[in-house]
Amino acid sequence: MVVSQTDAVMAELRHQFGGHIAELKAQHNEIYCDLNAQNLDWLPKVCTYVHLHWHASFVCAWATDEREQFKTFRLNYIFSIDAQDLFVIVRAPVSPEQHQFASVAAHMISANWAEREIHDTFGLKPLGHPNLKRLWAQPDWPPNAFAMRKDFSLQSHVPRVEGVFEFRQVEGEGVFEIPVGPVHAGIIEPGHFRFSVAGEPIINLQIQLYYTHKGTEKLCEGLSAEKALHVSERISGDSTFAHSTAFCHAIERLAGVEIPGRAQFLRMLFLELERIYNHLSDIGMIVNDVSFLVGYAHAMRLREDVMKLNEKLTGSRLLRGLNTLGGVRRDLPETVYSEVRDTLQNVRRELEELAELLWSSASVMDRLETTGVLTEKTTKDIGIVGIAARASGLDRDCRRDHPHLRYRQIDFKVPVYTTGDVYARTRVRVDEVFESILIIDQILSQISAGPIRVLIEKIPANAHALGYTEGWRGPIVQTIQTDNEGKIFRYKIDEPSFHNWPALIFAVQGNIVPDFPLINKSFNLSYSGNDR
Amino acid sequence: MDLKILGMNVLVALSQLVLFLLVAPLVTGWARRVKAFMQNRRGPSLWQPYFNLTKQLRKEVVVSENTSWIFRFTPYIVFTATLAIGLLIPIYTSFVPLGFIGDVIAIIYLLALARFFMALAGLDAASAFGGLGSSREMSLAAIIEPAMILAIFTVAVTAGSTSLSTIAEKMSDKLNGWDLLAPSHLFAFIGLFIVALAETGRIPVDNPATHLELTMIHEAMILEYSGRYLALIEWAASMKLLLFLTLLANIFFPWGIAASEQPTFDGVALGLGIYLLKILILTTLVAFVECTTAKLRLFRVPDLLTVSFVLSLIALVLYFILGGGASHALL
Repeated sequence: MVVSQTDAVMAELRHQFGGHIAELKAQHNEIYCDLNAQNLDWLPKVCTYVHLHWHASFVCAWATDEREQFKTFRLNYIFSIDAQDLFVIVRAPVSPEQHQFASVAAHMISANWAEREIHDTFGLKPLGHPNLKRLWAQPDWPPNAFAMRKDFSLQSHVPRVEGVFEFRQVEGEGVFEIPVGPVHAGIIEPGHFRFSVAGEPIINLQIQLYYTHKGTEKLCEGLSAEKALHVSERISGDSTFAHSTAFCHAIERLAGVEIPGRAQFLRMLFLELERIYNHLSDIGMIVNDVSFLVGYAHAMRLREDVMKLNEKLTGSRLLRGLNTLGGVRRDLPETVYSEVRDTLQNVRRELEELAELLWSSASVMDRLETTGVLTEKTTKDIGIVGIAARASGLDRDCRRDHPHLRYRQIDFKVPVYTTGDVYARTRVRVDEVFESILIIDQILSQISAGPIRVLIEKIPANAHALGYTEGWRGPIVQTIQTDNEGKIFRYKIDEPSFHNWPALIFAVQGNIVPDFPLINKSFNLSYSGNDR
Repeated sequence: MDLKILGMNVLVALSQLVLFLLVAPLVTGWARRVKAFMQNRRGPSLWQPYFNLTKQLRKEVVVSENTSWIFRFTPYIVFTATLAIGLLIPIYTSFVPLGFIGDVIAIIYLLALARFFMALAGLDAASAFGGLGSSREMSLAAIIEPAMILAIFTVAVTAGSTSLSTIAEKMSDKLNGWDLLAPSHLFAFIGLFIVALAETGRIPVDNPATHLELTMIHEAMILEYSGRYLALIEWAASMKLLLFLTLLANIFFPWGIAASEQPTFDGVALGLGIYLLKILILTTLVAFVECTTAKLRLFRVPDLLTVSFVLSLIALVLYFILGGGASHALL
């Protein structure tokens, strides 16, 4: 069935763009569509066709520096056809002499940030891009240093240059700018927010991120997969397990290895535990931001219960060091199953009570409802993913749309709300905790004894593969390309935060300044994951 | 009034002032403790506000070089204005030490003076948050003040005086005090309670414990303060809380307050005990409200304060329709 769908998509692509496609090949559920060098203008056309014809959502775009092997840069645009469990990867070479390509973002705004990142890190210019400002690079970064090119050494010392932030100015009577950050009052990560306000209502918000850029992708180049795995756990601390799962998934697909059933179930168990503790924490923080102290205390207590369970099961509250290539490192004895069930049943019972308390409190509901509305159209247009998308009416969940591990065997619902306000985003989280508890229940009854790891003998050279999973924040997609020795040549991390930060700009429009922290918390995006 | 009684009164008044100064942080500590208890937390020690004050008093003061004298004077103005109010209200005896210079209206103006300088100081350092706090504080003050005046006037017309000393004495009079109590008092009490929550930056209006600068009102204005300046402002904030609780206690439930006519040691001791009990109960009530409601959206705060204003207005109108006193109302 899958094969025929793949063939149908490939046939359609060949039919439409036959003359411009150099190579078309399929591997797992990935279709690679290589465009000819001379037909650069066709890149946006193929991309928009895939996007519109199959209702494929844009996943991510990145470039690779293949000047040594093929004397070219290469662009990669990934699309996900959810209904058919397919990924289409449109690739196009960019000549190293010209450093430019036809912008896809000009036709499909969801590629906006991705192309700006390519522009900053590779120096390839997307022609016709609607808003080609700096994204990754801070103003003091020299304009001719392109960090992701292969000839840019990790050790190089980059001279700082004079520069100013380009913020759009809003002028008018009574319009003020409020700069917030990059250092904030709470124990959170750095990011600069520039509000233009007229009194309390927010007219415009601009965000400057990338204060926590660690060069993660560059750092992994040339590393063996075993070493890069540890880096992948540290992309975003709260998604440790999801990121390392996506990484392992990519390596395992690269090597053509199927991990044992028990390992698959264990990975699912830990993914759901990660989702539960993060959702509980978010529910607490949202409630804290409306100063409903009792609700906050209860949510944080429940989160602590789950984190203690994590520690008891795995030795790590944050589920670190569990994933390994080919499976997981640590098995669970059957005797703990009942404890997992008991703890989670308790969480479920108490969360039901807490939710009842919140939804029946007029003062809480007044703060949550109609605050920070993200419309369905905006959500679709700018390519919002994860919790935020499901709260605005988009029915997408990587666990169901691209079933991996053993999610196919599990019965679960994907909660979708249509109002797109803070309340909807909180509701999605509460519902997902209940679903995750049901999923874990099914995992524990389906899991059977067996090995938890297979050895991966050899990682093929010059190969590439996608790995993906649904982290608690949204889908995480990682792409790995290997070099001649089977080491990592290019590692692309797609974090849901990277897609969702622009959502904040739209969601705060027309809201008042004191509601911003609440709206921000309802998205709870990772700075570290976004900046990488 | 003979000299002996006057001397006794002065002594009692001074002790009231010292008590007012020293008990205020404890009230803040108790409010935090009750809130922690309601959240299943253990909470900091009751004495934590004192530890904070002594720490801040010892610490170095950091002042932005962009500030003017207003920034440096404001903590003293706020502190002394609040302390002066402590001499204008009956605490556990109905004797008001500075009663001869002003009544309840003077209190409202002293509060306004402190607020005015606080808001200026918020603007003085030219930080974005201070400006936000000041603008919010002043726009809310425009509604808080009339609501407060109306609520207190309701009681004042009942007692026939704007002197708090007289009000407390008349209301606590064992023979006729109960007669003065009217249904309008209930409305006025709720009105003044809401004003107290707003004036002291408590939860439905402001959150004294938040770290989110964008949502702050009072805390945003004092973000730039440090060291002894911060200590004075926080101490004044504690005193303000105690001040409003004292007003609530002594205007609406003055029973047990020691009379200033012939102060006796027993009467004063009893007055002190009952006063502390009333403050304990009222503080717990404030903490309870803080734990059971979420903070209002900023634009809803005027709605709440309007409710307070309207309640006070109803209270006043009720007084003129029903006449003062429970006995009149019942007849």
